[in-house]
Amino acid sequence: MSQVKNMKQMEQKLQRADRKQSRLYLFCNFMALMIISAYSALMLSPTVQNVFPEGGDSRKQMYMIFVMTLMGCVVFTIYALGLFFRHKSGQLGILMALGASRRRLAPGLFREVIVLCGVSAVAGTIAGFPLVWIIWHAFRLLLVDSSDMVLTFDFKCLLVSLAFLLLVVGFACLTAWRYLKRTNIMEVIREEHINEPVKELGRWCGPVGVLVLLTGAVLGYGAPVACDRWFHTHPQEWMSVLYAPVFVGLYMVMLHTVVHGWKSRKKNPYKNIISRSMMKFQGKQTVNNMLVITLLIAGGCFAIFYLPANGISAMFRYASQPYDYFYKYQADQDVPDREEVEALGREYGLSFQEWTECDYVTLGMGGDSAIEEDGQHYHIEYVPMKSEAKVLSEDAYRVLTGQEVDVKPGTYLNLTNQEETALATDETAKEFTNMVTRRQLDTEFAGYLHYNLLVEGSITCCVLDNEDYARISEGLTDDWRGRYVAFNVDGEDSYPFANAFYHLFVSSFDETCERLSYYDRVQKIRENEAGKEYWVDTDDFVVIRYESADSFAFRSFWVYQPDFRILNQNDYLRNMAVMFMMFLFIFIVCMITAMVVCYTRCQSIALNNRYIFDDLKKLGASPAYLDKEVRSQCNNVFKVPSLVGISAMFLLFTMILYANDGRMVMTEWATMGICLCIIGLIGGLIYAVYRSAVKTIKRQLW
Amino acid sequence: MLYVKELYKSYESGKNRYEVLKGIDFHVAQGEFVAVMGPSGSGKTTLLNCISCYVPFDKGNIRLGGMELAGMNEDALASVRNTKIGFVFQDFMLLDGLTIRENILVPRIVQGKVEREAEKLAEQLASMFGIGHILDKYPAEISGGEKQRAAVARSLINNPLIILADEPTGNLDSKSSRAVIETFNHAKEQMNATIFMVTHDSFAASFCDRVILLKDGAIYRQMEKGEDRSMFQDRLLDAIKEMR
Repeated sequence: MSQVKNMKQMEQKLQRADRKQSRLYLFCNFMALMIISAYSALMLSPTVQNVFPEGGDSRKQMYMIFVMTLMGCVVFTIYALGLFFRHKSGQLGILMALGASRRRLAPGLFREVIVLCGVSAVAGTIAGFPLVWIIWHAFRLLLVDSSDMVLTFDFKCLLVSLAFLLLVVGFACLTAWRYLKRTNIMEVIREEHINEPVKELGRWCGPVGVLVLLTGAVLGYGAPVACDRWFHTHPQEWMSVLYAPVFVGLYMVMLHTVVHGWKSRKKNPYKNIISRSMMKFQGKQTVNNMLVITLLIAGGCFAIFYLPANGISAMFRYASQPYDYFYKYQADQDVPDREEVEALGREYGLSFQEWTECDYVTLGMGGDSAIEEDGQHYHIEYVPMKSEAKVLSEDAYRVLTGQEVDVKPGTYLNLTNQEETALATDETAKEFTNMVTRRQLDTEFAGYLHYNLLVEGSITCCVLDNEDYARISEGLTDDWRGRYVAFNVDGEDSYPFANAFYHLFVSSFDETCERLSYYDRVQKIRENEAGKEYWVDTDDFVVIRYESADSFAFRSFWVYQPDFRILNQNDYLRNMAVMFMMFLFIFIVCMITAMVVCYTRCQSIALNNRYIFDDLKKLGASPAYLDKEVRSQCNNVFKVPSLVGISAMFLLFTMILYANDGRMVMTEWATMGICLCIIGLIGGLIYAVYRSAVKTIKRQLW
Repeated sequence: MLYVKELYKSYESGKNRYEVLKGIDFHVAQGEFVAVMGPSGSGKTTLLNCISCYVPFDKGNIRLGGMELAGMNEDALASVRNTKIGFVFQDFMLLDGLTIRENILVPRIVQGKVEREAEKLAEQLASMFGIGHILDKYPAEISGGEKQRAAVARSLINNPLIILADEPTGNLDSKSSRAVIETFNHAKEQMNATIFMVTHDSFAASFCDRVILLKDGAIYRQMEKGEDRSMFQDRLLDAIKEMR
């Protein structure tokens, strides 16, 4: 007696028999959704959103890699769907040939597809959250923890997963509909066995691909810069499209790899002919997969390179600072004086030497400024009282730095760091303004001084002739005056002291100083006097509070954040924890996805070509030859995307570091060195997965 | 039973267009066992696929049991494939996840519910073709000859007007091939089945009442058996030689 009495029962039985194929599709879908869900959950969590500065580069990088991962996952799920349907097509074709109409087949097929991708997508979306939680808490437990690291979710992130889920389900239904719509039943039946060779483009395609790729990179990166520099126009969002040739170039490179390979075969045209032909006849899928793997590896590398790029320069700066303790404060604040600090030091068994103090004033400084015209274009115009400047006298500078300096009257020297990469420098000032009396001092740029500790992110620091300084600062109230203090520890420093002093220092300020480092009081006055609102007052900027003195935001953006070497060195990782861990997370996610795609692709290539291996065995191929063929197959899938992805990111990073200031400084060379070490580790990881893939395939094949 | 008139079919590959069938005309009578032979590329399989409505044709008429197939919508064509045509593929095309009994019943399952009567018929066909003992086995567990006989049983389960067979012995050894051809003969004699078979095998073709020889998409010659089978096979071989 037959257990199958109707269409539904037959479909269920066939689905049970095909569960191996369904499992592969379920797994791929699950992985893609889990990755998207995990990434978006962390990316959009308040934990990360509160730390990554709005509009900042790090946030843009995080979003950019997300888009790359998203694209990778889209291609990956479509590939898995294609595999599933290729297998399913045989069955569908037979049923069509036996008279099953489209209407008869549709309910079962749609039900199966929706259940498979729906269940896997929902499971993947849900699994993304525990995945983030586990990885994040592993970071907290094993690497670094801070109050910023407390993980909270904003479940709006589910909208991203939902959109992806709808895309996956929608695409699956569309594919099912396309299969049902086909009128050539023989094509449907044979589909599983039809190879998908890629369109051959000739041996020029690889080198031209590299050229197109580089053109895209230069255009994408250079066009916004050129726009800004030569046309005084803000880069437009559409300019990201200029990166498109990168993807076209990448595709061509992959195509060349699959179809021709990079080695010359003039001497031995039959070399690797078997593995090349195997690759070539599944070219479409292989090239797509290789493109996805390249994108993911590139995204992972970009994320992981962020760590040394930021860490090295900070560590170098801390290590090379001439004072163990350096801080500044507004003159109207009641901060601990030398006696109090020394008393606190004694509590920790410390004594101090080279105690140095000097005054500075905050003045309005004129300069060339970009004046907005229509939201897109701007022109450069000289603006008196353009911004704040911290100004020291020659004597004060000499006392603080120990450097001899001679500033001619009527001129100013601008402070920059040793590498001359400081952003807050201005050579265009024609006058300084006393913001209380509004008296002005005519001036002229006369050159640079180098002292890292006096260089701030967004406020210019200058040195004036002693007499000019005395004249312009006359009549300034204490809120426009300040004091620099620096000292060294006699012997070994103590972190507990630094920590205690830091908190004592912060708590001594009143609420008028609870300001961001880029809050420019001169600009605010100028804007307000012109009847406008100051932009930092209008937008929703990072909020800093004294009670969160240990938070990333406070330590990164407080206007009087001190430079205590031991505190900075010890707390650096903790302060940057969220940023670093986010990028580490991105790296892990991208690499896992890339390796899963590599592994799956290698398996499907080998298994789809099983009959070729069987034939080769029958034709007398030795185990060593077969082994070489398997390795050669896997090699292409792993090696080329890894090489391209890693090298592209390394070059891009080098280009970014170079383009910052038109040269490479020591910390940047050190960064590149660390990046090379990381590349070595990534290479090792990829090689380990490659070995494992080869081993598994060999076990399956013989 | 089957009338094919002025049938044209072409394929396109890139910018090239290949005429595969160039105005084919023939008919097959009720209860007749007809084979189509010809060199590779002569259009045999395409002809069969057009008759079975598996691939659309460009021009011409195909009448099956009084029904004109050209212009039928997809639902009507599906119904013709299910009830009027039984198809036997070269590589069997059994569903691996179903038992042989279930495979034979697939055309009935596609129609709707499987009644006891259909199950009985499946058992009868299976025992008629000598595969009654493997009804509960899966395709992977039986031989090629058995698979093809199961496919023939499947093609007969709906008592179709015609059985179309595409090189049914192409993947079989001589013993299994003979068993399959005997199955067809059995169906013809006992059920008055009409069979239209594409084959390369002159031995298989020699069992047919008539053989249509195709060359370059057109009918080259038609030959009737009339006398002894082995003499007919010799005549077929001579004609094939002459055709080359």
